[in-house]
Amino acid sequence: MRTDWRDGDRARAVEASALGGSRYLVSVDGAPMEVAAERLPDGRLVIETPTGHFVAEVSPAGTRRFVRLDALEFVLDLESGGRRRGPRSSSGGLEAPMPGVVTRVMVAGGDEVSAGQPLLALEAMKMEHVIRSPRAGTVKSVLARVGEMVAGGRGLVELEPDATDAG
Amino acid sequence: MTPKPAMFRKVLIANRGEIACRIAATLREMGIRSVAVYSAADRGALHVRTADQAHEIGAAEPQASYLNIEALIAAARASGAEAIHPGYGFLAENAEFASATEAAGLAFIGPAPDQIRALGDKREAREIAKRAGVPVVPGATGSSAAELSKAAAKLGFPLLVKAALGGGGKGMRVVGNAAALAEAIESATRVAASAFGDGAIYLERHIERPRHIEVQIVGDGVGGAIHLLERECSLQRRHQKVIEECPSPAVDNALRERLTSAAVALAKSVRYRGAGTVEFLLAPDGAFYFLEMNTRLQVEHPVTELVTGIDLVRLQIEIAAGGKLPGQSAIERRGHAIEARIYAEDAARGFLPQAGTLVRVRWPRAPFVRVDRGVESGDPVPVHYDPILAKVIAAGVNRDAALLRLSGALDDTLAHGVVTNLPFVRALVRSGEVARGAYDTEWIEREFLPDFTALVTAPAPEAALAAAALAELLRASLATDGAPGAAAAPDPFTALGRWRQGGPG
Repeated sequence: MRTDWRDGDRARAVEASALGGSRYLVSVDGAPMEVAAERLPDGRLVIETPTGHFVAEVSPAGTRRFVRLDALEFVLDLESGGRRRGPRSSSGGLEAPMPGVVTRVMVAGGDEVSAGQPLLALEAMKMEHVIRSPRAGTVKSVLARVGEMVAGGRGLVELEPDATDAG
Repeated sequence: MTPKPAMFRKVLIANRGEIACRIAATLREMGIRSVAVYSAADRGALHVRTADQAHEIGAAEPQASYLNIEALIAAARASGAEAIHPGYGFLAENAEFASATEAAGLAFIGPAPDQIRALGDKREAREIAKRAGVPVVPGATGSSAAELSKAAAKLGFPLLVKAALGGGGKGMRVVGNAAALAEAIESATRVAASAFGDGAIYLERHIERPRHIEVQIVGDGVGGAIHLLERECSLQRRHQKVIEECPSPAVDNALRERLTSAAVALAKSVRYRGAGTVEFLLAPDGAFYFLEMNTRLQVEHPVTELVTGIDLVRLQIEIAAGGKLPGQSAIERRGHAIEARIYAEDAARGFLPQAGTLVRVRWPRAPFVRVDRGVESGDPVPVHYDPILAKVIAAGVNRDAALLRLSGALDDTLAHGVVTNLPFVRALVRSGEVARGAYDTEWIEREFLPDFTALVTAPAPEAALAAAALAELLRASLATDGAPGAAAAPDPFTALGRWRQGGPG
């Protein structure tokens, strides 16, 4: 079974298949290894990889998987087949970086904006976060309104890049 | 013999989260009924579930609920509460709220409104401290460049140059020598004039690499006051405390005597009522300066409680009900306690606050470990409020024992579903500087964060991805190989986790 993951800004791919018993063949980013895995009655996994022996606890929350490996924590995003998201940077910060309430909308559809221009502001837990335009362009539409609560990753502004002087 | 004052029968807690739960615990122990209040975003929250009764007071936005004085007083009246405990944050240091409470015929579990007002004003608090003989950071105001350079020469460098009327550090500059002063004064005057309509400048000696030491005091409102030792709160990130302890590793008995005497003198000089904290900056040369006074229970009060054996909330309630202060000689120091604050924030992404649902939470349970928490498994973390989830506090016979125990307790803590600062506090308590007590208020940002950020933004190890992928594989195979209808069954790990938490042990 292949699963695709987002690990921070990186795309990671894992291929896992059962070898029988508690043994599995697992390739992480194309590098194969044999892994022994056993599920404890409480749901934790004891896994043995060539690099060591770990107790792992995996909690699904939406598309995220919270992975605790001994006392280390990782948050991986499971990317569903066909709807794989591009790297965060390509979405240009026009998505909400965190869940929050839209406090200010500073542009409207049709506005020309320059790179770095504030587009709107989000507030979460007493912190205001200003969403700026990643590049010069024209606002196609604003997808959120003041007072609206938005989830993390939700699109806020659609931007059309400046048309080049193609006459 | 004076008769024992009548104790409240019911108290309203004007707060949420871990502090509301913690106050309710003391009320329960005292046989006082607790009244919780909640916003629309907090229906079913842990602080609502643990109180004896609860009142909805408004919409999710704090202005409509936890900061809504009218709604809070109305809830207190409707519930028949005789007193209000404000906790910390929200309205805890709002003189208007304290006045409104008293005007409604209820006791405010905190200082008198005029004390909140006076000590909450930074300039007035500084004057009060000076009059009580408490050292303040040397400073001077002025408007003309000549006047200011003369004052600067007297104060010595480095200096902080800021607008006299400003707050929040706007236009604040650190100036290292006399040569750079003229330009800094000129630009600060410009900023001050445009931002505050007054070009007056305030110069202050800049204390480099200070530690933050605070003294817990309690006053009876009629001129008596005692201290409950100091707390060390130098481990901060952007002025937000992360780890606090009692006593401070940087304070010896002679310094403790001077610090606590200064704090008690200040409290007595205003006939302070209730619990309060006098904050000081401790310079590397051992000199200390008054920073500000907090007229409320502090987030970090549990470390004081574990070392002194005194329940500060109980003491607050007893004083509000007209009770007496214990004598200073009744306050003893035993061992050491350290606290780590657990926040819903993502250390790998600039400590952005996080919200969502905590799908699985497991707080540590061990001897000498205390957890003050506001959430359990399945609870939401709303976007509207401070992202503090809990505090994990460990005590020990000495600092090393307490730190080791805290480290183990943090390893035993699990919070999944919302990103937390657990990796951050775990790494902090393991660092050599923290073990040696060798840090100042800027150390985390100056020295700790660069390495930590590199660590948490590094690729996840292959074993973590293998574990995540195998969990998916096992889930898929359980769904296909299992009993009929298994595909619709809940996720096996979630289901097992919940079963385990309900089980014994």
